Amino acid sequence: MPKPIPSNLSPRDEVGRVSTRRSFAFMGCGALLGLLMAGYSLFTARGTSTLIVPPEDVALVNQQPISRSDYLLQLQTLYGVDLPHATAAQRRKVLDDMIREELFVQRSKELDVASTDPDVRSAMVNAVELEIAADAITAQPGEGQLRAYYALHHARYASEGTMSLYDFAFPLSEANAATAAAATLRAGAPTPEFLARWRASGSGKSLDDEFYFAAKIHLGEPLFATAVDLPDGAVSVPIIRPDAVHVLYMIKNNKPVPFDFAAARNQVLTDFRNDAVGHLRTGDESFLRKRANVLIADDVR
Amino acid sequence: MRFSLFLAAVACLAAAVLLQVSALGSRLLRADPDAIPATEALMAFALGRGKALFEVRCAACHGISGTGDAARGVPDLSDGDWLYGTGLVSDIEQVIRYGIRSFHPKAWNLAIMPAYGTAQPSVRDAKILPLSPGNIRDLVEFLMSQQGRAADAASTARGAEIFVGAGGCYDCHAADAKGDSAIGAPNLTDHITLYGDGGRAALWSSIAYGRHGVCPAWVAILSPAEIRETAIFVYSLSHPRSPAKAALLGVQ
Repeated sequence: MPKPIPSNLSPRDEVGRVSTRRSFAFMGCGALLGLLMAGYSLFTARGTSTLIVPPEDVALVNQQPISRSDYLLQLQTLYGVDLPHATAAQRRKVLDDMIREELFVQRSKELDVASTDPDVRSAMVNAVELEIAADAITAQPGEGQLRAYYALHHARYASEGTMSLYDFAFPLSEANAATAAAATLRAGAPTPEFLARWRASGSGKSLDDEFYFAAKIHLGEPLFATAVDLPDGAVSVPIIRPDAVHVLYMIKNNKPVPFDFAAARNQVLTDFRNDAVGHLRTGDESFLRKRANVLIADDVR
Repeated sequence: MRFSLFLAAVACLAAAVLLQVSALGSRLLRADPDAIPATEALMAFALGRGKALFEVRCAACHGISGTGDAARGVPDLSDGDWLYGTGLVSDIEQVIRYGIRSFHPKAWNLAIMPAYGTAQPSVRDAKILPLSPGNIRDLVEFLMSQQGRAADAASTARGAEIFVGAGGCYDCHAADAKGDSAIGAPNLTDHITLYGDGGRAALWSSIAYGRHGVCPAWVAILSPAEIRETAIFVYSLSHPRSPAKAALLGVQ
């Protein structure tokens, strides 16, 4: 038995009253809204089968989208035109080519081409590595992270040293001459006569303002190890090497200067990202290994 | 009854707004990107959204006003000087979508400034050989002269030879040093400098230690619509009549 309805209800009380018409109206509105939302999602959501090409794509090939931006880029690359200036034939040709490519890619998946073609395998490995690296690049590190990284690896961040020197070489049989020459040089910078005599002998070499890495190549590791510690105007002790006895005279040695954070920041960012890429790759690989079922034959364990 | 009508009207209004937004979003994506700036409705639709996206995704490097940071080699997006492409919406969109040296296969990955003051200037190209400190000094003088600044004449002459010879600089920057926006090689003759003040120290650093700035690829993070909206906002930064630029400059 329904409750009797008082006749003097205010508009607020009216809302609390059971009304069949209002209930139907609400239900209708709800159903309409639900239908709209479902329809919108059905025809636009990615990953669902649809008969409508999403606005960001130019075609769907077996539900696989062909991106509009890739299509425009392809038009520009092939014909040097944008969409409004492309002829119908140009548009059709580019679209046909892209659809053909997509069909062949899909077919290659069905045929499992990757299991037999080493080029495809290699391309797929590269593609996955690039994907991992791209993820690392997108994650922008904060200044604090970069500063911490710099503090941890600050020894890496310095200018390349440069040096200018004479490398006087004496035959192994003339070790005494080398010792005498070293003594002469210690008494003062090489005189023009000394240099002229040395140049005429054709032994040794002079380095004129070279980066450390180049000096190391030209002198060889053992001589460079001695040279790098010589201050300007210093002379080394005679260094016996298999080819000759060497005496080094340092004209100018500009040692590497550490970069402060501001100067090193770009390199720090690059190194940080490279490390992040390395970590991500290692992490991904270990994840793949962990979830994989790998069986190894007894004889190759 | 009145209340029911009111609710129905609100629902209809909401649906209409949703449809309108959806329709504009579709139009935006289907439109020729380079023609969008001429369409006021699409610009108005995209700019507000693009600004919000820019502030979240791009401002960390480019700054809230998009003017970049020369100390860190982040380009100014409001000066109308484009390193990649010619500043069309489609060019900007490509950069946002796939990035620069982002490791994405479709990114702008070609040009990397070699580090001529290191043992291996280029990881990719073993044919690029190091230069001596003297060579680099000569190149710096040559570039100073190209920018119309005071430079040592003898050193400039030697630098000019290295530029088109042993240094191989012409290969990317062109023989006239005016660069090539098709590969992101900057013009070295103008007064717009990407790194520092363009003085001797900055030039030395660029030549000796190389440059390879990075812009991430947003294709996997932003939707196509968001990428386009961001591109339109970036475009608007270098076009002073746009509402975004006017707002940034405080102009009515």
